[in-house]
Amino acid sequence: MVRGGQKVYRKHVRGGDCMRKRIFLMVLCIGIIMSFVITSSPLVFGQTKPAQPAKPAPAAKPEPAKPAQPAKPIIIGVPTSLYTPFGRNGLKAVNLAVEEVNAKGGVLVGKEKRPFKVVVTDTRDGEPATPTHDALMAYEKLILEQKPHAVLVAPFRSEALIASMDLVAKYKIPQLGTIAQTPAFQRQFKTDPEKYKYLFRVTTDATVPGMYLSRALDLLKKDFKLDSIYILYQDTLWAQAFAGVVRKHGQETGWKEVGYDAYAAGASDFSPGLTKAKEGKAQVIAMMWDVPLGAGIFAKQYVAMQVPSLLIGFIPPIAAPEAVKTVGPEVEYSLSVEFPVGASLPLKKLPKTGEFLSKFKKKYGTLPEAPAVNSSAYDSVFILAQAIERAGSLDADKLVAALEQTDYKGVSGRIRINKEQHTAIFGDKDPNETGVAVVFQWQKDKMGNLVRVPIYPDFVAEGKILLPPWMK
Amino acid sequence: MSLLIYGTITSIILALYTVGFSLTYGISGLANFAHGALYILTGYSVFSFLNQLGLPYFLSAPLSVVIIGFLGFVLYWGLLLRVRGVPLAELIVTFAAGVAILELLMWKGFYGIQYSLPLFVRGGVKLGGVAVDYQRLFVVGTGMVLVVLLYLFVHYTKIGLAFRGMAQNERTALSVGIESDWIGSLSLAVGSALAAVAAVVVLPLGMMESAIGYEVLIYALAVAIIGGLESTPGMIVGSFIVGFGQVATARYIGPKWMIIVPLAAIIFVLVIRPSGLFGKFKELEERI
Repeated sequence: MVRGGQKVYRKHVRGGDCMRKRIFLMVLCIGIIMSFVITSSPLVFGQTKPAQPAKPAPAAKPEPAKPAQPAKPIIIGVPTSLYTPFGRNGLKAVNLAVEEVNAKGGVLVGKEKRPFKVVVTDTRDGEPATPTHDALMAYEKLILEQKPHAVLVAPFRSEALIASMDLVAKYKIPQLGTIAQTPAFQRQFKTDPEKYKYLFRVTTDATVPGMYLSRALDLLKKDFKLDSIYILYQDTLWAQAFAGVVRKHGQETGWKEVGYDAYAAGASDFSPGLTKAKEGKAQVIAMMWDVPLGAGIFAKQYVAMQVPSLLIGFIPPIAAPEAVKTVGPEVEYSLSVEFPVGASLPLKKLPKTGEFLSKFKKKYGTLPEAPAVNSSAYDSVFILAQAIERAGSLDADKLVAALEQTDYKGVSGRIRINKEQHTAIFGDKDPNETGVAVVFQWQKDKMGNLVRVPIYPDFVAEGKILLPPWMK
Repeated sequence: MSLLIYGTITSIILALYTVGFSLTYGISGLANFAHGALYILTGYSVFSFLNQLGLPYFLSAPLSVVIIGFLGFVLYWGLLLRVRGVPLAELIVTFAAGVAILELLMWKGFYGIQYSLPLFVRGGVKLGGVAVDYQRLFVVGTGMVLVVLLYLFVHYTKIGLAFRGMAQNERTALSVGIESDWIGSLSLAVGSALAAVAAVVVLPLGMMESAIGYEVLIYALAVAIIGGLESTPGMIVGSFIVGFGQVATARYIGPKWMIIVPLAAIIFVLVIRPSGLFGKFKELEERI
């Protein structure tokens, strides 16, 4: 390689190249400007979705509807991964609920009504290769700088949630988690309930969709005599738990297991697994995945490889409202579990789900893209508001005691807290008694359009499972 | 049969990832660590042309390839010229440029399931009883055509011969009038354009996200190191080693270990044979 000094020699050797150099420099400048314009211009790289993700630094969120609020706001911190649709939509759902609360004058704290104010930090824990420590640092920065009275949504990745439990306990801030699904939360809580009493989960944990999926497998076995399954899951805490529940149920009810494989969260090639399912003649492929990239690649590979198996599980691009557009008509017949109800699918038999989703669509121009947990984020604001009013104070210990008494009928069902593990109680029997989830299938309606039809539980079902013609 | 077919397809995809990186390094000794960023930037460029400007695919794709090639050219003259001759500085500059591009994409919110390129043609065929979609066949075809075109380019065109001259001996090339900075910038432009071609044919197989940029860089490094940084035949062999290595790992050990294969291969090759399987620049220990 020619070193710098020899470049000077070459300059002299070239002699009178000044004109050429000037022309070249002009072209270079034009090229740089063109490249900048083309690659950075909003005209070319405009957003196709209406909402921008929140900036990394803590930022104030929508002001109360009544601008002239003299009362000091109640600060709600939202430290979550805005890279993931769950975090983004969770934040949007929180903002929507906060606007509603503030429009009614705010929350009664003692004798004074105070508005909510949302402050956000992007923990980036949903992004591949983000160290948990970085996520915790962002969370701690939010706590120290913004001094929230409570935290909603919380970290996205279960590993980050578990790691943050000591941090939350240290600063004694009530946290209502609405995303991370690992049952390890309960195990950690039970090791020292007094220390971890500030932490709550007001959404499902992975065993709940696992249970719902197991019921769907029962229906497939009962109605269509299907009995061979390939289970593929993301190698993270929540998906391990989810897959474990499904596997156990399959083993107990006579399903033949063609394979049970974990893939790294950053996987980008699922052809070995799909090949295994195909060669093993798996009638059902159950997949549990939350990283949009991998799920999208899987969906496309599944279609491309023409695997003759029924797809069931939690695969966001296939379950999302825009699935037909992004994946294609091949999503027909796939079964997905949405947890809890109201996350993205309006249910005729549960009107609150439709109300929430139409408000969401009216404000943001589109339904939530993630088929999970958004409704929990929305409910969490009202749960917190009611707890503050019961406590009559923002004192953390009083708030914790009030949160334990939660009995709120929201979009996701009736939310009550299991005091021994500080998690919401979910079931599949009655939305007036517990929180609930739903299993739906993409089916063609009378006009030939693909729509999502809820098929389980019975109290929300609008149809039955249909078997693809190539499986009959 | 499935393993053979999909292993081959995976290997050719890896070769497509690597060919631009390998070419740039082989000619100018420049390790372009912005390679992955340029790859994914191509995808977003095509997406924007398709969805924002409404251009047809057959215009969006070549236009994006040209733009990214030009960006590589500008990267050389704008950033790298000042640090030419200092390999570590070149590496840091290109890496920083790559990270800046990827983080800019993240910051601007270019992630979500809507960021996906359509397939060129939907449908597929059966090869030996194995269903293979047309897009994957296109990837294989593109890979083979690219190798042939590259061979013809470096053997029968003036610029290609200049590339080879530079790769063999820069000082001698200088003495016969081949200007190293121009050739270096052209090699970076061609390498970037090759990354863009790979993006155009491979990205429709899945979704787009800036994290793919890091992944492509790691694969390109692994394949190039295994095969030998300046060797095209080595690059092809390296891609098959990594491709089939991943498929075999998934099959016989477990899919979650697939991601370790390229990283383990880098370490293994650097310890046993640092110049790579077909590397021309032999380390002192290898020569003795």
